[in-house]
Amino acid sequence: MLLAMSIGVAAVVVLTSLGESARTYVSDEFSSLGTHLIVVSPGRTETSGVGPSMFAGDTPRDLTISDALAIARSPLLTDVAPMVMGQAPVSWGGRERDAPLVGATATLRRIRHWSLAQGRFLPDGDPERDSGVCVIGAKLRRELFGATRALGEWLKVGDRRCRVTGILADEGRSIGLDVEEIVVMPVAGALALLNRPSLNRIVASASSHRQIDRASTEIRRILKERHQGEEDVTIVTQDALLATFDRILVALTYTVGGIAGISLIVAGILIMNVMLVSVSQRTAEIGLLKALGAPREEILRLFLVEATALSLAGALAGLALGVSARLAILHFYPVLPLTWPIWAIVAALITALVVGLVFGMIPARRAAELDPVAALSHH
Amino acid sequence: MIELRGIERDFVVGDQIVRALREVDLEIHEGEYLSLMGPSGSGKSTLMHILGLLDRPTGGTYLLSGREVTDLDDAAQAAIRRTRIGFVFQFFHLVPYLTAAENAELPLVLSGVDPAERRARVAESLASLGLSDRSGHRPDQLSGGQRQRVAIARAMVAAPSVLLADEPTGNLDQSSGSEVIHLIEDLHASRGLTLVVVTHDPEVGGRAQRQIHMIDGRIREDGGAA
Repeated sequence: MLLAMSIGVAAVVVLTSLGESARTYVSDEFSSLGTHLIVVSPGRTETSGVGPSMFAGDTPRDLTISDALAIARSPLLTDVAPMVMGQAPVSWGGRERDAPLVGATATLRRIRHWSLAQGRFLPDGDPERDSGVCVIGAKLRRELFGATRALGEWLKVGDRRCRVTGILADEGRSIGLDVEEIVVMPVAGALALLNRPSLNRIVASASSHRQIDRASTEIRRILKERHQGEEDVTIVTQDALLATFDRILVALTYTVGGIAGISLIVAGILIMNVMLVSVSQRTAEIGLLKALGAPREEILRLFLVEATALSLAGALAGLALGVSARLAILHFYPVLPLTWPIWAIVAALITALVVGLVFGMIPARRAAELDPVAALSHH
Repeated sequence: MIELRGIERDFVVGDQIVRALREVDLEIHEGEYLSLMGPSGSGKSTLMHILGLLDRPTGGTYLLSGREVTDLDDAAQAAIRRTRIGFVFQFFHLVPYLTAAENAELPLVLSGVDPAERRARVAESLASLGLSDRSGHRPDQLSGGQRQRVAIARAMVAAPSVLLADEPTGNLDQSSGSEVIHLIEDLHASRGLTLVVVTHDPEVGGRAQRQIHMIDGRIREDGGAA
């Protein structure tokens, strides 16, 4: 029974800890993107959520490279990059891989804070023209080239050829793009390769955090003008995105914590049963105490204190269990920034106390109400 | 000092009402030594429980030193039990995981007496019963007679004015039983205790100055009021 309480408390602590950590992880990931990010996608959504959806019956206007150029003229934005995304077979020297393809411009590197392990990123220049170069991720380089030097080599990407001019540095995941595996080429080339008329999105970096909302409004105004007065784009700022994720994770954390809380209730019921058994076993003792002159309140207090002590002991054991579990998780998954929310620990302890009191009340009252005469002749 | 008037005690057993005590009138003076005797079911134990405020009568009044105690609330009755009444039971009722000294000090613990004073009074109580060298022993390390003596020490530690003994020798052999009865009688004689002994054994009961016989919940005989 003590074990049940411990597991309950440990579960609450560990699960809420995981929830909090997930929030921190997501928040950190977003921060690594740079905090002034604005993402423009074709099509309008009703919510500020992720991803565009088709307006029923209405085909959204294409987002074009010249749209991106128009936006880039605004002084509220430092960098603007048109983006196309898809998948394409990449081959060199008899080896072929299916890799995520990103079509963009030179500005994308700055917006995404990417760095290069070797060579250079895409060149500046007219984005409507394909300069015929590309940049690949470190893992893709390994898989296609092995030990051979990759820079300067010609790759076949889909039905086009491009020359490798840079290798991206290993940076791990970056919200949707695993930098290791991608091939980045000029947006005009990618559009042709993927046979698309329209960009997937335009990403822009506001000049400062304060300017994000004004920049969003400005982008909306520019595009509305260009799209014949239709507001058919979705503009998502990084802030809004983060807020949405955060809301979801908070809800998740509470839900999960609540489920763990149920196990605490189970533990409470177990305490109650154990105490009921204890009361019936100590009936003669209770009768004696009453005969010796213990008032009911005294007996009540005695058993309530016992129940609370039991549940607190279980809670402390549970905290110890939670600490060990956390250390174990950290050992196997050091990537996870496992935080320790104080409020969860306090909540778990308080819940344990309350559970002890509430579920100890019934046995305690039963003990207090025992008829001393009957109790004494019980043994 | 103890006055019972028209005491009734009914028990509900299943769908029947059992009248354990019917119209009991009893007066006990301070310092009296009396025995309650009768066959099984005569109500003698029930009467003792009512005397000791362990049980409430269904009807009638109980006056203790002129004060009506019948309808006092639980806390008040508990207080009286703690300070003015001592119990000795047939089956000793010692707490098995406490030592003799800890058992004996229980009433004082309940009264909130501080530890230093408790220790002194317990030591005295145990000494007067010849148990000083056993004060650190637990009940399972004591003989039957010793256990009952610890129980008596416990009963006396709060210096009550009334001692109620329910079949005190019922669980003891001849010599231990005789020892215990003598001890109780000594206490009565030396401290002017009011002593009530409930017993089915006529030899034990016959030692009292006043002998009350009960049958079917009534007092049939009340002999030798001293």
